[in-house]
Amino acid sequence: MSDAGASPLVQVRGLKMHFPIYAGIFRRHVGDIKAVDDISLDIRESETLGLVGESGCGKSTAGRAVLRLYDITGGSITVDGTDISDIDKEKLRHLRPKMQMIFQDPQASLNPRMTVAGIIGEPLVEHMSLSRAERLERVYELMDAVGLNRSFANRYPHEFSGGQRQRIGIARALALHPKFIVCDEPIAALDVSIQAQVVNLLEDLQEQFGLTYLFISHDLSMVRHIADRVAVMYLGKIVELAPRDELYGAPLHPYTQALLSAVPEPDPVRESQRKHIILTGDVPSPSNAPVGCNFCTRCPRAEQICHEIEPEFRQVDKGRYTACHFVGDTAIKTAEPTVGETVKP
Amino acid sequence: MLNYSIRRLLLAIPTLIAISLIIFLLLDLAPSDPTANLPLTIPPEVREKIRQSLGLGDPIYIRYLLWCKQFFVNEPLNILEQWFGWGSGDRLRVLSWQTRSPVVDLIVERMPQTLWVVGMSYVVGVLIALPIGIISAYRQYSWFDQIGTFVSMVGFSVPTFFTGVLVIVIFSVWLGWFPSIYDTTHQVTDWESFLFQVRQMIMPVAVLALFNAAQISRFMRASMLDNLNQDYVRTARAKGLRERTVVMIHVLRNSLIPVVTVIALGVPQIFGGAIITEQVFKVNGLGQLLIISIQGGDLPTVQTLTFIFAVLIIVFNLVADVLYGILDPRIRYD
Amino acid sequence: MRVRTLLLGAAAAVAIAPAALAERGSDGEVKIIYWQAPSTMNPYLSGGTKELEAASLVVEPLARYDQDGNMVPWLAESVPTVDNGGVSADLTTINWKLKEGLLWSDGSPVTSADVVFTWKYCADPAGGCAQSEKYNDVTDVKAVDDLTVTVTFGVPKPFPYGPFVGAQAPIIQAAQFADCLGAKAPECTDANFGPMGTGPFRVTEFRPNDVISFEANPNYRDPDKPAFATVTFKGGGDTASAGRSVLETGEFDYAWNMQLAPDVLGAMEAAGKGTVVSAFGTLVERIMINLTDPSPALGDARSTKAHPHPFLSDPAVRQALSMAIDRALLVEIGYGAAGKPSCNVLPAPAIYKSTANDGCLVQDIEGAKKLLDDAGWVPGGDGIRAKDGVRLSILYQTSTNAVRQDFQALIKQWWSEIGVETELRNIDASVFFGGDPGSPDTFQKFFADVEMYANNFDGTDPEAYMANWECKQAPTPETQWQGNNMPRYCSEEYDALVAKMAQTGKLEERAELAKAMNDKLMQEYIMLPLVDRGRVSAHSNTLGGVVLNVWDSELWNVADWYRTKTQ
Repeated sequence: MSDAGASPLVQVRGLKMHFPIYAGIFRRHVGDIKAVDDISLDIRESETLGLVGESGCGKSTAGRAVLRLYDITGGSITVDGTDISDIDKEKLRHLRPKMQMIFQDPQASLNPRMTVAGIIGEPLVEHMSLSRAERLERVYELMDAVGLNRSFANRYPHEFSGGQRQRIGIARALALHPKFIVCDEPIAALDVSIQAQVVNLLEDLQEQFGLTYLFISHDLSMVRHIADRVAVMYLGKIVELAPRDELYGAPLHPYTQALLSAVPEPDPVRESQRKHIILTGDVPSPSNAPVGCNFCTRCPRAEQICHEIEPEFRQVDKGRYTACHFVGDTAIKTAEPTVGETVKP
Repeated sequence: MLNYSIRRLLLAIPTLIAISLIIFLLLDLAPSDPTANLPLTIPPEVREKIRQSLGLGDPIYIRYLLWCKQFFVNEPLNILEQWFGWGSGDRLRVLSWQTRSPVVDLIVERMPQTLWVVGMSYVVGVLIALPIGIISAYRQYSWFDQIGTFVSMVGFSVPTFFTGVLVIVIFSVWLGWFPSIYDTTHQVTDWESFLFQVRQMIMPVAVLALFNAAQISRFMRASMLDNLNQDYVRTARAKGLRERTVVMIHVLRNSLIPVVTVIALGVPQIFGGAIITEQVFKVNGLGQLLIISIQGGDLPTVQTLTFIFAVLIIVFNLVADVLYGILDPRIRYD
Repeated sequence: MRVRTLLLGAAAAVAIAPAALAERGSDGEVKIIYWQAPSTMNPYLSGGTKELEAASLVVEPLARYDQDGNMVPWLAESVPTVDNGGVSADLTTINWKLKEGLLWSDGSPVTSADVVFTWKYCADPAGGCAQSEKYNDVTDVKAVDDLTVTVTFGVPKPFPYGPFVGAQAPIIQAAQFADCLGAKAPECTDANFGPMGTGPFRVTEFRPNDVISFEANPNYRDPDKPAFATVTFKGGGDTASAGRSVLETGEFDYAWNMQLAPDVLGAMEAAGKGTVVSAFGTLVERIMINLTDPSPALGDARSTKAHPHPFLSDPAVRQALSMAIDRALLVEIGYGAAGKPSCNVLPAPAIYKSTANDGCLVQDIEGAKKLLDDAGWVPGGDGIRAKDGVRLSILYQTSTNAVRQDFQALIKQWWSEIGVETELRNIDASVFFGGDPGSPDTFQKFFADVEMYANNFDGTDPEAYMANWECKQAPTPETQWQGNNMPRYCSEEYDALVAKMAQTGKLEERAELAKAMNDKLMQEYIMLPLVDRGRVSAHSNTLGGVVLNVWDSELWNVADWYRTKTQ
């Protein structure tokens, strides 16, 4: 779909999002939750970048930080040539139309006291000078675009099903002709039967309006379906970034390998022959990340170096980036995991 | 909504009758004697005669039915007849034992000062509480919030008989700015008398408003905090709305839903008067009427007052529910 | 401030015309505060002091008592006595003659028919008249002519000054209350709230339990009085704030019944705006001793004559309890200027006051111990005295009241010094004095060993008061616990004295009898008087003419009040 030479629409460099922890009687600052800790990535125009990882790995925070819904702790974000990492709220507000977000929970993300027309039309009031009739016309257009019946315009969000609510959320995001949309687990809260509809809608809209997506999800098969390239996050850092087929075909990082091995195979014969890598232990707390490689506490390949030196996130092949001391070592590229449990179902 | 309200009102009738009976029984069972406050020099035989003349010799069900008849039949009929001039309207009314005058007249006489002072303090309290609650929540843990929390705690936990006496000592005794005793006979006729009315209301209103504001601002703050962290607020920000719009339109409107109902539920308290504050400032409104009636064993007055409070509480519960339905589109009654 | 300008205006008015020569209404407004608010203006429908005193501005009796307890004619020309022929020799009739030319505030003449009507009004059994005690034994009241009435008693009345005398028994207007007899009495709200009167003021607005506005009565008998044109009579609040409004802020001119801790009142007076005045009547704070056994084990026979008290029936114990008390210290702590130590239950008026018991004024712990030792009560291992297995352990009850609880604590301490154990108990006043036969906590039931409260009598004549301790006055289950003889004292000699007094007309002889009864009660230690409690009121320094009177309404001479020139 996208070619590698296209210029990046979004450039993220060394993005950090730390949340302070206060404790004690005087609420002293005692530490930070490093939800996003030094990530860098580019998103090219009209592509879909999938961002995957376990719950709590910081992918949603990363998505919100990229849109400056948080005041970031460090790093830079450039969207469509404008550095937004440090600009004031008012300027940022004027940039909002370009970059939008679709939220995970369509119920909670819609103001319960506003009608559909109000929700979709509100950004138009704020950012465009349209007459009331023009605005309503635009609202209807958007409702058509996402497949909502126009007659629903004066209803309230609670009167809709989950899939319909997500369509409202999408229509709202589209209202101002954005270039870049962060989809923060847009299908996680929906029934499986509805998920495909919404994903197809997102794909259609991408084609129609030339949208660029950052698609955040924990659903690896869905990301494989929609994304052009995929980034894998673990404990606030990106551990691997690669074009979709390479990543799914030959994951480089031990975490990616473990993650992919957990995806069930529809064919029972092949499924029975696969080897699953089961990770032991829990994800460490982002407020107290391990020294060295973040993954060293659970990595089946971990060695002394992993506990001492943090691996660099580097390009190891064309378009392929990873952060592992052993990548580049030919042994790892082909090796089956030898440490850790290997289970046959 | 109309059907719902009518149904609720109809359901309230048996509830209220039950309440009136319970109040009556409770008052009757409580040890109280209308002659207890008379000087010891009045001999027991005379006390007994007084009790008999008050009807205490009748069995309890007779007394209850008599009260019901006087309150539910005679009082409304008298009012109607007097309004429309149908008749003399002189059926036997509910008479207070202390003053031997109609209880309803006592209540009507005391309503103005209670509404002026207690009602005003509620309005002032709400007006202070909302901005404090909003700012406290928006700037959680800021200095403003900390001070707001402290003042609320003080307002909530320091009783009005303390703050009342404190302001009297400061502003009446030391500074001589305001009268310490409320003049209930004062008539507002011109600018001068209006200023006097304001001056005599300032202290009781301020003391009560502090107490009310403390409560409501805490509610407002909590409700704002709930909503500020909601996803739809992030949506609103992502839309590129002004922060003002985000807070005042999206967050505030949603946060007001529970606060408005709390405010509505508090309205009957206004009519109940503020027993202590009225005593401290000698406002002599409904709260003081209730407390001296209790002290004096004046059962008809206590019964009538508490019953009217019960009616108000039921009505304002309904008002709160209806308001909730109007404000929150997710709630529908039918 | 409005109050201040008024005061200044009043002061200016006084400056022009000296107080003594003031014209009616020339001194503007006088503001009175009672921390208990009057609920009616009809003294016959409420026995409360606050109502009587508020009403005394408007309605007046035929005769009343001055500050020394002497009877003075008020609406009557003179006080009838046996000597001047006004009282018949057999003590059964009394003739009152009204002053001539008296007018009601509506301008109609006051006649003997009004006096007759007043009796009928109160005597109606369905009316629940609170002052019917005043009309006891009256069989008839007849108008002899327009100004003369004859009151006939069914029994000889050595003290025939109950009806129509004092603030409790004023004359009301027949025309106004004609339709308000008996059961109809409470329905006459307008009349009850605004009675027609002969007094210096008349009601312009009555707000029950709140405030009363008065104006000078245009038909008052003395054309130069009252000096004040209007009276604002505010009620409600609490003692301290009433005192503050007179003594500290100067908003009010007169505050009634300042029952405050002595130091609090002293601090208020120091502000220099007003003066505290006190006067002593017959109110005595006393400890009553239960001569019967209050043990719960006795069931219905609890606190009845059937079972004498296990140790309080021993006079030595009672005397020792009295000797251990330091009355002067109690006064200092609890009442200050508003009290003085008392060794008599009948402390006033002066002619009735005995001096035979003054020994109790001095505390004598050692004497008390010796007395108990001699009587065989010896300290046990725990320091508590006992005899034959009976320990001196006392349950001491009173009403809930800060001063009373201070007293309890002090007395408990003194009694423990002489080896008597005390358990303290306080009961809400409305229950304690409530007289509810269903409650175990009333002062009449007296389910305790000793109890403390104050009592007094109306007027100046102690006959009925001293009769309280007749044998038959003891509260029992048969009388629904009615009666005033709390100690359940029963003495034939005492009852004989009571009977004799009821037949004695001469004042000096009556005084001797009353003293003898008092001394008998005191010397048998049936009750332990503690403090003679005076009445304390406060008035502004700009208010003149206040004469505190404990024998009648405090506002008895309000017609003579005036605004002084300067502060």
